[in-house]
Amino acid sequence: MRVVIAEDNALLREGLVLLLGSAGHEVAGVAATGPEVLPLLLEQRPDVAVLDVRLPPGFRDEGLRAALDARRKLPALPVLVLSQYVEETYAAELLGGGAHGVGYLLKDRVGRVDEFLEALERVAAGGTALDPEVVTELMSRSRGKGPLDSLTPREQEVLRLMAEGRDNATIAKALVITERSVHKHIGNVFAKLGLPPSDSGHRRVLAVLAYLKR
Amino acid sequence: MTVFNSPRPTVPIPWHQLPNRRCSQLYRARGPGAHTLIVMRRVTVREVLRSAVRASFHLVTGAGLSVVCYLMIGLTLLAATATACVIGAGMLPETVRVLRGLAGFERRRVAAWLGTPVPERYLPLDQGSLLERVRAAGSDPGTYRDLRWLAAQLLYGLVLCYAAMVLWPLGLLVDGVWCGLARRPAVLLPRLSELATLEARISRQLLLPSPSARLSERIDQLAATRAGAVAAHGAELRRIERDLHDGAQAHLVALSMRLGLARRAYDQQPAAARTLLDAAQDQAEEALAELRHVVRGIHPPVLTDRGLVGAVRALAAGSGLEVSVAVQGLADGPEDGGRAPAAVEAAAYFVVAEGLTNAAKHSGADRATVELWREDGMLRVRVRDEGRGGADEGSGTGLLGVRRRVAALDGSVCLTSPSGGPTVVEVVLPCAW
Repeated sequence: MRVVIAEDNALLREGLVLLLGSAGHEVAGVAATGPEVLPLLLEQRPDVAVLDVRLPPGFRDEGLRAALDARRKLPALPVLVLSQYVEETYAAELLGGGAHGVGYLLKDRVGRVDEFLEALERVAAGGTALDPEVVTELMSRSRGKGPLDSLTPREQEVLRLMAEGRDNATIAKALVITERSVHKHIGNVFAKLGLPPSDSGHRRVLAVLAYLKR
Repeated sequence: MTVFNSPRPTVPIPWHQLPNRRCSQLYRARGPGAHTLIVMRRVTVREVLRSAVRASFHLVTGAGLSVVCYLMIGLTLLAATATACVIGAGMLPETVRVLRGLAGFERRRVAAWLGTPVPERYLPLDQGSLLERVRAAGSDPGTYRDLRWLAAQLLYGLVLCYAAMVLWPLGLLVDGVWCGLARRPAVLLPRLSELATLEARISRQLLLPSPSARLSERIDQLAATRAGAVAAHGAELRRIERDLHDGAQAHLVALSMRLGLARRAYDQQPAAARTLLDAAQDQAEEALAELRHVVRGIHPPVLTDRGLVGAVRALAAGSGLEVSVAVQGLADGPEDGGRAPAAVEAAAYFVVAEGLTNAAKHSGADRATVELWREDGMLRVRVRDEGRGGADEGSGTGLLGVRRRVAALDGSVCLTSPSGGPTVVEVVLPCAW
């Protein structure tokens, strides 16, 4: 995969390059400031972009803005946004244009190299990767509103993993159960929450998130 | 504990006990640190004459001012009647402006004589419509204080000048014999200085802003420093957040990345994993160093452990300069008795840190002095180096940060750095303790 990175901290930039290189990906370009990002993406047309939220010159949300612009200009471009803290509104803004090929993760997750690479590949393939922290925040806010409490613990775990954007196979692997039982749990979740049954993929993520945000 | 510059009462030796009974006079001089010292000096006839001439000059300008006041009273009456008849309302603000100019001149003259500034406070006169300006001119309490002074100056300015005229020939005769021939201290001519001081004191009293104006000025000042404190606090929080974000947090993420890579490499390439683990350890150490740096910026731990004096000594020891630290009235240790509030201690600490950093970096000096003393419920800090001076406050952010920190505590910063040195930073921090 060809990857473009935008990260202002030299230490982390170097670490990401090392990490992606070790996984056999090609780093096609590196940006250190907000205004460099979009031209670089338009020039390189990578398979996926990994962007830091906070970039110079303003050190606010330049990276996020660049990601939103990039998705407007190159709608098929998968974007994985990294940040040192998660903000649910940022997730909402990113998902505003659809959950196709969108990722929003805490930088901490990069340390779990395999999981991070799995999430990156998922996003590059058009999937979704939402940080567990965002999902936890959403789930805790939806608590006490009825249907969510009627889910069994296992079903809640399935819902959480669905919201993170994982497909049935990885959910099965994460929970160490068969894909068949995952399928069954998902059916139950959708029925209990009153959601129309949805196939796997980003449409399902959106449905789940929309429910959680209600 | 070193005692420095103490307001030790210097008992003056009476003039007649001096071995040489020449004209002697006691002078009150303002010593460093505004401690009033009584300095014994013998005053020659020439000096007596010189100060009498200076005083007379002051009194004559005062009399000249009285004449101008006389004219000004006429102008004021004219403007008042013109305003009363509506047609000449435009004259009023302009006249008040002239009056303020005149009062301003006297304030500067008095300030020069007494050595203390005379604050002034007026409502602005150059904003709004004519009606608003007339209203401002008429309703400003400052205008009435100026008018009161105007009338009074006409009287005492002339009276005191006439008194000086009478005193001169008498003084020349009496002191000529008494001081010049009999070598006794001058009696009459020094009275001229007292007359000039009396004139300046009366003017100062009349021209000081009213208590309510001073109060409202104080409120403005408090509002400004409070806003400054809030802004400084906000800036401080942002600085800490930025430091943590770019420093420790980034290092920890990088550390975690290295560990993740090392784990991946562990089975196939143990050598590579080892290198990665080494790098990870370096990263962990850097993260700790970053955290220490941030913590020190928030509240230096040495302050907690050693108290202000110990912390300042530590700063002095680590500054790379030969620094002498003089302390008075402060506890030399971490025990609670005699310690200033934590915010005041931290501010004083950063003042010293900034002062010594600048001295080491820019002054070219190899030695500096730090003085800390407690006086009238104030903590005073002075950092002085004998370097090349010419420190420019606008050129760095360090002193600005110090200034904000100190202003937030209602204190004041005074930087003097003439070209050629010395550079002195003096800070007063009020603290009830």
